[in-house]
Amino acid sequence: MLNPTKRDRALLYAGIIAFALFAVVPYYWILRTSILTNFAAISPDTGFLPLGELTLDPYFAVWADFAFPLYFRNSIIVAFGATLISLFFAIPGAYAFARLDFPGRQALFYTAVFTIMFPWIVLTIPVYEVFYFLNLVNTLPGIVIALSIFVLPQNIWLLQGFFRQGIPENIEEAALIDGHNELTAFMRIVLPLSAPAIGAAALFAFLTAWNNFLWVFVLTSDEGVRTATVAIHYILGSDVLREWNTLMASVVLLVAPPVIFYGLSRRYLGEGLGGSPGG
Amino acid sequence: MAQLELDKVTKVFDDSSGTIVAVEELDLDIDDGEFVVFVGPSGCGKSTTLRMVSGLETITDGEIRLGGERINEQSPKDRDIAMVFQSYALYPHKTVRGNMAYGLQLSTDLDDQEINRRVEEAADMMGIEDLLDKKPASLSGGQQQRVATGRAIVREPAVFLFDEPLSNLDAKLRKHMRTELARIHSEVGITTIYVTHDQEEAMTMADRIVILNDGRLQQVGTPKEVYYEPNNRFVADFIGSPSMNFLDVKLDRDGTGSGTLVGDEVSYKVSDGMVGNLDDASSDLVLGVRPENIRIEAGAPPEKSIEATVDVVEVIGSDNFIYLDLAGQEFRVRTPSEIEPEEDETVTLTFDEENVHLFDARTGDALVHGRSQASVSAPPEQSDTAAD
Repeated sequence: MLNPTKRDRALLYAGIIAFALFAVVPYYWILRTSILTNFAAISPDTGFLPLGELTLDPYFAVWADFAFPLYFRNSIIVAFGATLISLFFAIPGAYAFARLDFPGRQALFYTAVFTIMFPWIVLTIPVYEVFYFLNLVNTLPGIVIALSIFVLPQNIWLLQGFFRQGIPENIEEAALIDGHNELTAFMRIVLPLSAPAIGAAALFAFLTAWNNFLWVFVLTSDEGVRTATVAIHYILGSDVLREWNTLMASVVLLVAPPVIFYGLSRRYLGEGLGGSPGG
Repeated sequence: MAQLELDKVTKVFDDSSGTIVAVEELDLDIDDGEFVVFVGPSGCGKSTTLRMVSGLETITDGEIRLGGERINEQSPKDRDIAMVFQSYALYPHKTVRGNMAYGLQLSTDLDDQEINRRVEEAADMMGIEDLLDKKPASLSGGQQQRVATGRAIVREPAVFLFDEPLSNLDAKLRKHMRTELARIHSEVGITTIYVTHDQEEAMTMADRIVILNDGRLQQVGTPKEVYYEPNNRFVADFIGSPSMNFLDVKLDRDGTGSGTLVGDEVSYKVSDGMVGNLDDASSDLVLGVRPENIRIEAGAPPEKSIEATVDVVEVIGSDNFIYLDLAGQEFRVRTPSEIEPEEDETVTLTFDEENVHLFDARTGDALVHGRSQASVSAPPEQSDTAAD
């Protein structure tokens, strides 16, 4: 007979394991399908662990049959471009919202926050019109600009919270007394201390831009400026015999860079979200 | 060399919620090498004044001069000041050495060797030589406080500014650091402004105490002056712990020059010396007497005594604090520890005339102090607000 504490603990673990399986199985299925032959992928006889029928062909097929290197290149340009540009504007913007008192500060801030919650799809037609007018449709700069703009509010929101709570004002004041002016205090003291939060903001910006479907889909029609996310939609929607293994292989390839990016920045991310400057 | 003068310094905060006058026409001269403590309740303007001196806050009106030179428009880095913050404000990404050296690196052209020498000298003075290569996060509160003070000392500024530097420490460490800061001040002899809300800290450390309330100067004086001859009721109440007892009384003159202070269940005879110092118009008065000046004495002369009922006796070891009920008002007495009356017991209290303070009931201004037996010189115009 188990004592109550042990029994509770066993039940807890059983629950956690069940939940973990529930969460993990779809990912496992994607991985499993991506390394099967097309026939095995759609056959009901293929088991959960089809050890005999594994192949990396779908990955080569993705690379060979579709212009994935190009799509990936576009995705990387777009995601890094949007991340950098949005951070370039979000850092000073967030700092201003957190520290300065200027007329209209609250109204502007709530406008920015509101745009995070605003359903983007409602804006597709006016945005398309504006970008068409500016000759930015079907160009990579156009996509970068669009994504930067839509990532900007979330970055501002994330960073202003950090500047407000994570960096005591006294530290900046100490820097002013030590010999900095407002600008150099910001550059030399605030920015280095904000690295974790900026890392977190960069990660979110990168993920949002990398995964973005809507704006790339709306603003591009040429294959040459298509990103991987939208390309998968076209693979899925192509009228050839649907190749689930190739599709899943492309999904795995699509998910890999953000996961790697997260892995690299994880050390900073927790601190950034925790809102405290790194010790 | 580093005389600091505040000339009608005013600070007004204007924001959407309205206009707040944080500091109003503050006049103050601080001599070279003096240790001045600003004290007052929260929101009295003491920190704002300090921040105006540091340059972190702009000055709405008036002038601040350091060594005779107007510094209103100078940025903090050009003012030759160093400041210690309540939160210490150490740079978390720099080592203790880096924190202490940073100001010298930025604002002087000393070479690394000289900077290092000064950092080590200051570290030695603060007893933090062993911590020089650690980051602030790994230090205790007391150690961080030392580093913050060391960072200020190393600059060898014209003025030190301390903004409640000991508030985040526990009581024992606070007392220890208090002594230490006083020792350092006597060693380096730099003009110092120290802000605190703790009147005990102010009394023990200051050459002169500046008492502020609602942005207005209440009194400037040595610890003894503000204790024995408070300018007004606010100062009398704020300085001293437990705080002074106040009783509303009227003066009955008996025609021979002396008189009796009469209030609810109170009657206290005062000499002609004291009465003589009150002008004829003053009749509504407040009698102030400190808890430590009151004795419980069964055989006290009836014309110099008050009867009250014991509410609570607080034993603190060296003394007892006795809280009594006098006509529905709390009355506090501090007695030696062997005197410990029962609760609900009615006791006879007495005090000497030299410990009596009389205030104007309407304005709160001090009219006469028993100790000096002399009329208080005209109080500064700011003090007429204490009763507002």
